[in-house]
Amino acid sequence: MAEEFNTESMLDMFLYESGQLLEKLEGIILEKQDADCFDDADINEIFRVMHTIKGSSGVLMYDNITKVTHKLEDVFYYLRESHPDDVPHMELVEHVLAVSDFVTGELDKLKNGEQPDGDEKQLVEDLDEFLGRLKGEITKQGIQMPQANKHVEPTQFYITPVAGDDSHFYRISIHYRSDTQMSNLRAYSATYALKEVAEDLLYTPDDILSNEASADVIVAEGFHMLLQTKSSKEEVIALIDSSEAEEINFDELTKEEYGNALGEFGREQVILEPAPAEKAKADAKPEKKEAPKPGDYVVKTKEAGKGKTLAKNQPKQQSIISVNVEKMDALMDLIGELVIAEAVVLQNPDLKVPGLELSNFQKASGQLSKITTELQEVIMSMRMMPLTNVFQKMRRIVFDVSRKLGKDIELEVVGENTEVDKNIIEHITDPLMHLVRNSVDHGIEENSEDRTSIGKPAKGKITLEAKNEGGKVYISVKDDGKGLNKEKLYQKALEKGVIENKPMSEFTDKEIFRFITLPGFSTKEEVTEYSGRGVGMDVVVKNIQSISGRLDINSVEFEGSEMTLVIPLTLAIINGIVVQVGNSPFVIETASIKEFVRVGEDSLIHEPSGEEYIVLRGECYPFIRLNEKYDLPDSVHKIEEGIVVVLEHEGSQVCVLIDKLLQEQEIVVKPIPPYVKKVKGLSGCTQLGDGSIALILDIAGLLMHDGERR
Amino acid sequence: MAEELLKNEETEQDELLEDDSQKGKFMTFQTGKEFFGISISYVNEIIAMQPIAAIPEVEDYVKGLINLRGKIIPVIDVRVRFKMEPCEYTDRTCIIVIDVKSTTIGLIVEKIAEVDTIMDDSIMPPPSLGRKEHEHNKYVYGLARTGDGVKLLIDPEKLIKQDDIEAVVEDARKEEQS
Repeated sequence: MAEEFNTESMLDMFLYESGQLLEKLEGIILEKQDADCFDDADINEIFRVMHTIKGSSGVLMYDNITKVTHKLEDVFYYLRESHPDDVPHMELVEHVLAVSDFVTGELDKLKNGEQPDGDEKQLVEDLDEFLGRLKGEITKQGIQMPQANKHVEPTQFYITPVAGDDSHFYRISIHYRSDTQMSNLRAYSATYALKEVAEDLLYTPDDILSNEASADVIVAEGFHMLLQTKSSKEEVIALIDSSEAEEINFDELTKEEYGNALGEFGREQVILEPAPAEKAKADAKPEKKEAPKPGDYVVKTKEAGKGKTLAKNQPKQQSIISVNVEKMDALMDLIGELVIAEAVVLQNPDLKVPGLELSNFQKASGQLSKITTELQEVIMSMRMMPLTNVFQKMRRIVFDVSRKLGKDIELEVVGENTEVDKNIIEHITDPLMHLVRNSVDHGIEENSEDRTSIGKPAKGKITLEAKNEGGKVYISVKDDGKGLNKEKLYQKALEKGVIENKPMSEFTDKEIFRFITLPGFSTKEEVTEYSGRGVGMDVVVKNIQSISGRLDINSVEFEGSEMTLVIPLTLAIINGIVVQVGNSPFVIETASIKEFVRVGEDSLIHEPSGEEYIVLRGECYPFIRLNEKYDLPDSVHKIEEGIVVVLEHEGSQVCVLIDKLLQEQEIVVKPIPPYVKKVKGLSGCTQLGDGSIALILDIAGLLMHDGERR
Repeated sequence: MAEELLKNEETEQDELLEDDSQKGKFMTFQTGKEFFGISISYVNEIIAMQPIAAIPEVEDYVKGLINLRGKIIPVIDVRVRFKMEPCEYTDRTCIIVIDVKSTTIGLIVEKIAEVDTIMDDSIMPPPSLGRKEHEHNKYVYGLARTGDGVKLLIDPEKLIKQDDIEAVVEDARKEEQS
């Protein structure tokens, strides 16, 4: 156990584990936020989460975390043991979230290499007060309840966990050598070790972690423990780190002696582990137990006699390992290379000798191709992650904001298992957060009367939906609130001068809705904590565009609005058309190509400045000759011999002259090495099937460059 | 970026000190009539000439990109970099792949010569006649006398960086401003 004090190696583990546990915790809380109470399974789960974090933070000596989690653990211990009836659920939820936020904050500090120095006092006091109140209420009703907290009443009861027939009782006293440093920590490590096998464990002095002075007490008077366990004497002794101990007294007690001895420790802090038998009993209690919903976290019932797993709480998804993204990228590169090497082998010119009997070779090569294709698919899917975590955050936001604003809002989540590329998840979290916040703040009506008066249910509803369709992911935030007022938007746009004095009828609904994405545009009269400053929607749109997605807005006044993010499934692979100019291949993203046309000299308009335009069906487009722009030799100069590609980006078009089309293929986008200076109009490069490199045209860059020239 | 580069420099020097077997070893190659040497600790590998994808609108000595087993790296033509007349690529033309400050770059050289051991004491600073001359030789940090003549020792960091990186940083700054 002593090596656990080696904090360096422990810290990573602690951060990872605690992070996972907190996520899980928040999941449970938000799942049940609207329920009247937590069911037994949840209470157990929260209790265990708190207990685990408490334990590991204690080992690492992050006292504030330990104290806070310990307090909350007490609360849930009480809930679990006593099943009080009138628990103010909302208040409880808030307390849990407060603790979760606190610990998350401290973990973040640790991650940044700082010390966790958050002040836990307020939280602890709040929790104390809350727990006190819980107990107070119940005491008033005259029911005697077990108590776990020494800070409350001196007349507390202590209920021994049900002792099985095979339980043993020990009194252990450790006397450390007088020069022992930090004997309180040694004592703690002993209790920590014993907790794993303990059904019940009491010790004195009890404040070994929080009180530095306890070290002196331990050295002077020894450290005394009372243990109830199923383990044998030898096993228990083996668990105690005896390196600095001068003397360890180990007495086996009978059950009666143990009961008497409890008196000595009775007023001391109690650390409890659920004994298997008791745990089963608690689980079996039908009281208030809700039917598990899909997605509920399943609490594994421990097998009897397997006390060892108590302190080790497994994260929900245990079959996941985290891999460095760089390694994944390297793997992806290698697989890409493998595919190319395969093509080189299979299409080797040596095979084209006439008269070669190749049927066996063909069979084998077919097999090889199958495997490489599959390999490619697997690596692609490895980068995909479900949206579950992102949606989880949204639940939290809806919860927080709706509470603060005093609105009653229900959040429905559909399709949270939709998978998207990891990069994209990172990019959509903030925009989505903003949209959700907007819906809660602006979308849903201020007063429930406003809703009921027009025949809507009093409770507002926000639907968060994700689906995967045709290579794109649609994530929509839908509310059944007041919707967007077109008239108001139009007037505001006029005021701001973003539109010239065109009548409203000249705009389509979509165009009017799009006004809200303009910078500085807010029809909300007051600025609130959450929104109304008019910054945000434009940022949302910008963020979404940076991952080549778009935002669709749909709204019916008085019925609600729907904001839909349409984003590509993955950024790493795009569908492209390979074209050739001179000797160089280029790739154009298929999505931005409007059409290919062959035009004659007569549709060209020459400006005296040298600019050229193309007239297509009466519309005039700017025209770029790639060969001239990039100075590529050996290319087509006559417009009749080449092909004109009409490209579109965000509503503006440009025509580009190329020599010929080569093929359409899925390409893996790679950045141009940073050593090469950035060229406008090129966004990256890729490998083609034959191993050669093609540059990817960046339509936005082409348009920009063109604009600058003019 | 600058910080990153500095950090890398440190680690690279550490490696240099650690790896005694590479000390004093230089990869020599011929470009034009002269022989050049480059410390072997920079050299990753030597590959045969490959098809190069040209990039438009870049410096003339940046020949383009090659595909090094899935990794796309830029290649520069040492001849052009030394402001010599470019020459045809032949069978003897090679690409030396070097790692400098975490950037992988290919150097196109006419002919690989050999790996030479050159002791520190046989390296002398290049004689400088005037400022102009000195400036021209800035990638050459020393002359080494070996059995069959004089070799010009190149500092690859200067060869590929210095003005280039400065230009990139400058560009980035301009872009930020605009």
